Amino acid sequence: MTKAGNRQMSFPELADWVISRTLKAGANDCRVSLSKRRSVEINYRDRKPEVIKEATTRGLYLEVFVNNRYAGQSTPDFRNSTLESFITGLVASARIMEEDPYRTLPDPKYYEGRSDADLQTADPDYSSLTPEERHSMARAVEEACLSKGGDKVISVEAGEYDESYEEYIKTSNGFEGSSNGTYCNIGASMTAQDAGDRRPTGYNYVGCRYRSDLPPLEEVGIEAARRTLDLMGGKKIPTMKTTVILENQGAGRVLNGLIGPMSASNIQQKRSFLAEKKGLPIGSRFLTIVDDPFIPRGLGSKSYDGDGFPARKRMLINEGVLDEFLVDWYYSRKLGWEPTSGSLSNIIIPPGKRSLPEIISDLNRCIVITDYIGGNSNSTTGDFSVGIIGKLYENGKFVRNVAEMNIADNHMNFWNRLVEVANDPWIYSQARFPSLVIDDVVVAGI
Amino acid sequence: MKPIPRRKFLRGTALAGGALLFLPGITGCRSSGSSMSGNYFLGEFGIDETLCSKLLARALSRGGDFADLYFEYTLSNYLGLEDGKVNQSYGDISLGVGIRTVKGDQIGYGYTQDLTEEAMMSAAATAASLCDMTATQVASSFSRLQAGNYYPVSAGFDGIPAESKLPLLQQINEKCFSMSPEIVKVSAGFQSSIKRILIASSDGVIAEDIIPNGFLYSTVVAERNGRRERAFWNLGGHRDFSFYTGDVVDEIATRSVDNALQLFDAIQPPAGEMPVVLAPGMTGILLHEAIGHGMEADFNRKKTSTYSTMLGKKVAEPFVTIIDDGTNMNLAGSINVDDEGTPGQKTLLVENGILTSYIHDKISARHYGVEPTGNGRRQDFMNYPMPRMRNTYMLGGDASPEDVIRAAGNGIYVESVSNGEVKIGEGDFAFYVSQGRLIENGKLTAPVKDVNIMGNGPKMLANITMAANDLEMSRGGAGQCGKNGQGVPVSFGLPTCLVKSLTVGGTDQKGGRS
Repeated sequence: MTKAGNRQMSFPELADWVISRTLKAGANDCRVSLSKRRSVEINYRDRKPEVIKEATTRGLYLEVFVNNRYAGQSTPDFRNSTLESFITGLVASARIMEEDPYRTLPDPKYYEGRSDADLQTADPDYSSLTPEERHSMARAVEEACLSKGGDKVISVEAGEYDESYEEYIKTSNGFEGSSNGTYCNIGASMTAQDAGDRRPTGYNYVGCRYRSDLPPLEEVGIEAARRTLDLMGGKKIPTMKTTVILENQGAGRVLNGLIGPMSASNIQQKRSFLAEKKGLPIGSRFLTIVDDPFIPRGLGSKSYDGDGFPARKRMLINEGVLDEFLVDWYYSRKLGWEPTSGSLSNIIIPPGKRSLPEIISDLNRCIVITDYIGGNSNSTTGDFSVGIIGKLYENGKFVRNVAEMNIADNHMNFWNRLVEVANDPWIYSQARFPSLVIDDVVVAGI
Repeated sequence: MKPIPRRKFLRGTALAGGALLFLPGITGCRSSGSSMSGNYFLGEFGIDETLCSKLLARALSRGGDFADLYFEYTLSNYLGLEDGKVNQSYGDISLGVGIRTVKGDQIGYGYTQDLTEEAMMSAAATAASLCDMTATQVASSFSRLQAGNYYPVSAGFDGIPAESKLPLLQQINEKCFSMSPEIVKVSAGFQSSIKRILIASSDGVIAEDIIPNGFLYSTVVAERNGRRERAFWNLGGHRDFSFYTGDVVDEIATRSVDNALQLFDAIQPPAGEMPVVLAPGMTGILLHEAIGHGMEADFNRKKTSTYSTMLGKKVAEPFVTIIDDGTNMNLAGSINVDDEGTPGQKTLLVENGILTSYIHDKISARHYGVEPTGNGRRQDFMNYPMPRMRNTYMLGGDASPEDVIRAAGNGIYVESVSNGEVKIGEGDFAFYVSQGRLIENGKLTAPVKDVNIMGNGPKMLANITMAANDLEMSRGGAGQCGKNGQGVPVSFGLPTCLVKSLTVGGTDQKGGRS
């Protein structure tokens, strides 16, 4: 740690010191981001600890602007002597870049209006978590998974991971922000003996800001086993056009292909099929996506973004109509648009009224997609193709597990066939998506 | 966050950088003539044999089979061009030590970025907390490992300076735009790094290495009649600046532009099962993903791989021989020494159709009672090593490429794939075909796009019925293999191969062109 006299500097003191040295070295402006993180990981297999891992890390990321030339670099080395040469070297790096009039810090007027809501990102009880408790959490998940898996179990790995972090950002033109948080994750993966040589692996991991928000450990382990057993006998079946249901926790795999092209960088670089679609329908009336940074204990909750813009709740897609793009400072200047924030917080699809079993019971036939494999989504054209694993139902009854099948479609068509949203948002993620029901999807198999 | 147990092949786009300007030179050693003579960590941080012994003794203070120290100092730098200007420079410094204690297949691991004795002793104590027995002895002296030199760098090489990269990016930009008026956007980047490592193990081996790595790439967007298509190409590996010539710039620009334009004529092939011909070179990713991962010994030791009962058995036709090799000159997966101090080497995985060896690190080698194969690799000091591939390839056969395509009859010809993923236990995999063609009546016809190929790795290996005499290795540098959240650079290769049947996933239910 850099020292002022014999005392270690606090983050604000260190940031001031770095900013002062950077401006002296010839930069017009700069942004310094400081972080510290402590993490612990414990994994069990065969009822004994397989991995115990623990560390504290820190980082300094400095961005410099020299006459509209830009460079950024990170270092873990906070020693005075090293930081001096780090700063002068980085300013020298920026000088050899080509001039780009859009490379500046944001206009400080965009820093104003930050909420002071308590986002409850840090668990006050985090520091009371003992090594013994961590071991006992992993063991409880493992035992529950082993018990539910029974004689099908080849191997179970169960784990506990937790971390706490602090971040501090300051710019030379008046932005200052700090945040801290905690995270605790538990879960298991199980490999089962299936017919022939097949050894399907299923898993269930859940994470929360507050340890007390975790579901009962036994349930987590049982769910990991259940998800694995659901993969048994999975086979491809004849190609069909059918209703599919994207199960809540995996729905982001397909939705990412819709959300990514909403970023200004993709639009400005002509890599977005949504570039001309603002204000127009891109999905059915059931498609609403909200970016909400203020959910207490939310994994994506925050009060400012990487540019220093105050976080705000916003509607990205409203009943099928594309309402807002993700526009950061740099690309807002390139496009000549107002910035809106280029990053997301908690991404919400408002839940519907019915449960997944109720929806399935009303359908003649459907495939519930529980996992994905490979695939791609082309942000330029909206075409996507992805391998799927899931469960086939007919007349509300489970028929068989399916695997090695594929869906290929275009986002501009696919979301128009969203016909219902279930009432089961997956809360253990920054993306709180419920299960989504899509009509008339070609699922390719044999 | 907890890594989901799933393996993905990642195309490296990380802006991990590090202004190479700041790399302190190698300073004089303090203990001339020792196994650490001339070592960077000795010169900069005073890491000598005495301190290594002390740290290892702490790591084994509560027992354990062995312990090791992995010191790393990596500087990386990315320069990017967008809208005609080289206007992005990002850098990163990775510095620290990872300390591991191993007992059977159990691992205690602590790491620190602070290379003071106090901080390192604390990390060693974390590693030691795995065990609760009496101390294990550390070797009384160290000997320096003699390893190969598969990516030689000139004396004093401190990485590729940013000034040298800038004109290459400008040349790529100009070349791409000059090739077609349909090119509307070009972005290009040059990622490079230099990694210095020092490994000391409790059995008395000290190894060190200097690893240059990087790649130059372009991404182009083409527009025709309001439709846009995009393509990417890169070249790189463990190379210094002498590799990045005008010919390399031309190849990157030509491949990315040609590939983007080809997509305007592409159709979606029929969905369903059909013969698939894999073009030589880059399609070796399939070999890596669908087959190689299942041969990593940790999955077999845990009995989670379909290959766990196949050692010594027939897994492919007799003409099939598969090698995982750390000794190819300058390829992205080459290693002089692995990340636990075993020399880089060449390992026969499948010989004449028989599975002959798994891919081992020290833990799995002890489990199986064999020698480690030099595959213990890790992303950085924050992660412990595990069995990882290097450069994985299949030897060529006797046929000509034309014979192989003719034998396919009707199917698809896969030139390039991305976003591959495999489920180790089932062996199932899926890959996105980014470039390919239809095969109709034994001849290559229309380009295809936006499809997945899916199958089962062990079945695919058994279904390779023909191979041409044209083995080609991928010379890309952007390929990162991801496993349990850790990325390491790899390469791969294939000759033209015929796979009797794979599932092709398009939109059409039954077949036709659109």
